[in-house]
Amino acid sequence: MRAQVFHRWIGAALCLSLGWWMWRGLIVSADPSLFGPAAYYVANTASDTGASNIVAAILFDYRGFDTFGEATVIYTTVCGVAMLFAKRRLRRSSWGLSPIVKRGMGMMVPFILVYASSIVIMGHITPGGGFQGGAVFATVTVLFCVIYGSKFEASRISPKVKEVIESSGALLFAAVGLWGLAEGAGFLANLDAGFSSGPIGSLFSGGAIPLLNIAVGMKVGAGLSTLFYSMIKILEDPAEGPPPEV
Amino acid sequence: MNPVLAVVAPLSVGFLVPLVHIFKKRHTGMSVIISAGICSVVSAVVALSGWDGVAVTMGGWTPELGISLMVDRLSGAFLLLAATGFPISLACSMESFGYSPWRFYVLFFLSWGAVNGIILTGDLFNMFVFFEIFSVAAYLMVSYPPRSWQAVEASFKYLIFGTVGAMFLLLGIAYSFMATGQLNLGILSQMMASVPPVTLSVIGGCLVVGLFVKSGTAPTHFWLPDAHSSAQTSVSALLSGVLVKVSVYALIRLSFLLFFPVMREVFSVILFLGTLSVILGHLMAFQQEDIKRLLAYSTVAQIGTILIGVGCASSFGVSAAVYHCFNHMTAKMGLFLVAGALAEDRASRDISHMSGLWAHRPLFVAAFALFAVSLAGIPPFSGFMSKWLLLLASTKEGHIVPALAIVAGTVVSSAYYLKVLRAFFSPSETPVPHRRPRPVSGRLVALLSVLCVLLAAAPFIPGASSVLFSVGDSAVDGASYRDVVLGK
Amino acid sequence: MIHVSYGCAIAIFCIGLYTLITKRNLFKTVIGLSIMEGGVLLFMVASGFIPEAGPPLLPMVGGSVNPLPHTFPLTAIVIGASDVALALAYIIKIHRHYGTVDVDKIRGLRG
Repeated sequence: MRAQVFHRWIGAALCLSLGWWMWRGLIVSADPSLFGPAAYYVANTASDTGASNIVAAILFDYRGFDTFGEATVIYTTVCGVAMLFAKRRLRRSSWGLSPIVKRGMGMMVPFILVYASSIVIMGHITPGGGFQGGAVFATVTVLFCVIYGSKFEASRISPKVKEVIESSGALLFAAVGLWGLAEGAGFLANLDAGFSSGPIGSLFSGGAIPLLNIAVGMKVGAGLSTLFYSMIKILEDPAEGPPPEV
Repeated sequence: MNPVLAVVAPLSVGFLVPLVHIFKKRHTGMSVIISAGICSVVSAVVALSGWDGVAVTMGGWTPELGISLMVDRLSGAFLLLAATGFPISLACSMESFGYSPWRFYVLFFLSWGAVNGIILTGDLFNMFVFFEIFSVAAYLMVSYPPRSWQAVEASFKYLIFGTVGAMFLLLGIAYSFMATGQLNLGILSQMMASVPPVTLSVIGGCLVVGLFVKSGTAPTHFWLPDAHSSAQTSVSALLSGVLVKVSVYALIRLSFLLFFPVMREVFSVILFLGTLSVILGHLMAFQQEDIKRLLAYSTVAQIGTILIGVGCASSFGVSAAVYHCFNHMTAKMGLFLVAGALAEDRASRDISHMSGLWAHRPLFVAAFALFAVSLAGIPPFSGFMSKWLLLLASTKEGHIVPALAIVAGTVVSSAYYLKVLRAFFSPSETPVPHRRPRPVSGRLVALLSVLCVLLAAAPFIPGASSVLFSVGDSAVDGASYRDVVLGK
Repeated sequence: MIHVSYGCAIAIFCIGLYTLITKRNLFKTVIGLSIMEGGVLLFMVASGFIPEAGPPLLPMVGGSVNPLPHTFPLTAIVIGASDVALALAYIIKIHRHYGTVDVDKIRGLRG
């Protein structure tokens, strides 16, 4: 007990001194204007990429390689968690909620799907994009599990289909990048590689950015759903049987 | 050849393996082998074609706007190290796991791509992203097969330490972005002179702490012995041989580019912690009864030895450190392969149970002796050559204590390797229960022994030694890095 | 004013580190990691702030804040989420073996 208190004091002292050291290292520039690459991005995104969301343009065009890596981190995690929980059959861990909730969910699903797709394909115009939309796609499968019982979703969409979607999303991303390389404009080049851009602010603008958003959306949607199902697989059977059908 | 291919090729293979497994299950093994060959050749060609400095920027932007990839002699050397180590480990995994664990091979190729990415990238934030891919894949490879709870626990520990390291790395990147607004390493190296010293110390502290945690240097090494000893043989060999070196590469690259002209204190810290790791690693290795833990603690000590070379802050020191990286890779991979095979034969990793193995597998034990002697630093083997160069480098800069630590480490490591070898050579009544033939491992060990002997001769070949010393020059020379990346 | 944001970010980072150092529960360790990550992300976003500027969306009214620090957290959030997911998966595995999430009772690899 005494040692534990001592340990805490040491930890607190360490953290406080670390914080003080970092606080002293702060720089607040007096000149509130953009400089460096940021100024260029703000001034030239429209003409360079055709996207109206500057953050999306940086994520998928100027610094698209980061996004490629970031999507790969999710891919790695999903693959690994599936490996950790491999070789276990999905057991039924719940029977779902009442018929009213099931019916209500059934009516909501199309809207959620439309919402998710709109987030994905309009990522270059409005805040949003592949990651956010993919996460919304994955919530649909989570809702399926909560409301219809744990076996429903796995019986409708087999894990193999999800894996195919996930891997093809990743390959689509790499293929768009290599297309730019083949055109001689560099990996993940956008307008230079011949992707055409419509008028700024329309759906078909931004060159390859919508394509990359779709690729990331496939990867993240299928990936997060696989992640969820790999973890839910190990839950135990409920003791009682199915609820009586009404 | 365009450097980006060395990153994209292994990653694409990682994305393709699941599809091959689902649609053409029979061809999984063959396609993995072929694509490993392709990736290895691609990395080697990128390393050699970019030997005199090649840089490309993604998407055709200028280096300031996009992400640059850059090959020079230092990154070329580490790229070659990865291109040698990964196929060896893959061949060993194929032998022990077969073709069925395709998810493991996915992780393997993803980590390969990420390693190449860390080595090639010329952008600070991009380096962090690749560090995370590489770390996540490494945590997961440690915990393969997931049945073994020790491996799961070791990789959880690795994950906690690795993520804390990543957070410090990210905070360092955030501070350097706050101070300069730039991310390209070439531009950053110019702008570091204008950053106030207090901020510079925070940037340096955070980046160096993050990389120390990731590379398993002394005060933060707790994850390394567990992770390296609990993993499967081929994964341990990969971790000790290649993956730890990548963090060392990042440390060399960042410390020389960002802090060499403006803040020499970083190198004193590296030197101090390197010395501490040498002492602590060797002493802990001496106490171990488990052969793989012994080798893992020896890795801590060898990382410290490499860091002493880096901490000398001279071109000669870096060359010696890179040379020691290669020697450590060949010898430690060989040691892990032999120790894994022998421990599996005995069904125990305890050194006291390892008696009578000389009669059982004489060639493996002979190879173990060669690697051990080389790593301990007995002349005229390869470890002695690099340690000698490290000693010269550190005494030339006036650092006597690190040099003494290296010498003392040699004595201690000879003692513990002799302890292992005595167990191997002592006779035993109990016959060895398992006699699984290991043709692939045998050939890999033979290959590694040949490499080990060749590396010992490298400093005496005039061409090879000048190549070696030019590696150090390219690491220290920030101006030539800027010329290549910024295209002047 | 921006000092407050920076100060909060640093404080959150240190609170996360303190949690990580002192707590003996595996879940709390992972929570500590998440808190640390939140601190770093807040720091990044704060470093792009410009007074009286709008979001970086076209068409732009007035000035815009620095868009670059908005992209780093997007990338880093995803990476942090992957790390946390993996950590939780490991905790599930460890809990199935030991039946506890207390570090003091999990001594498989100590010593």
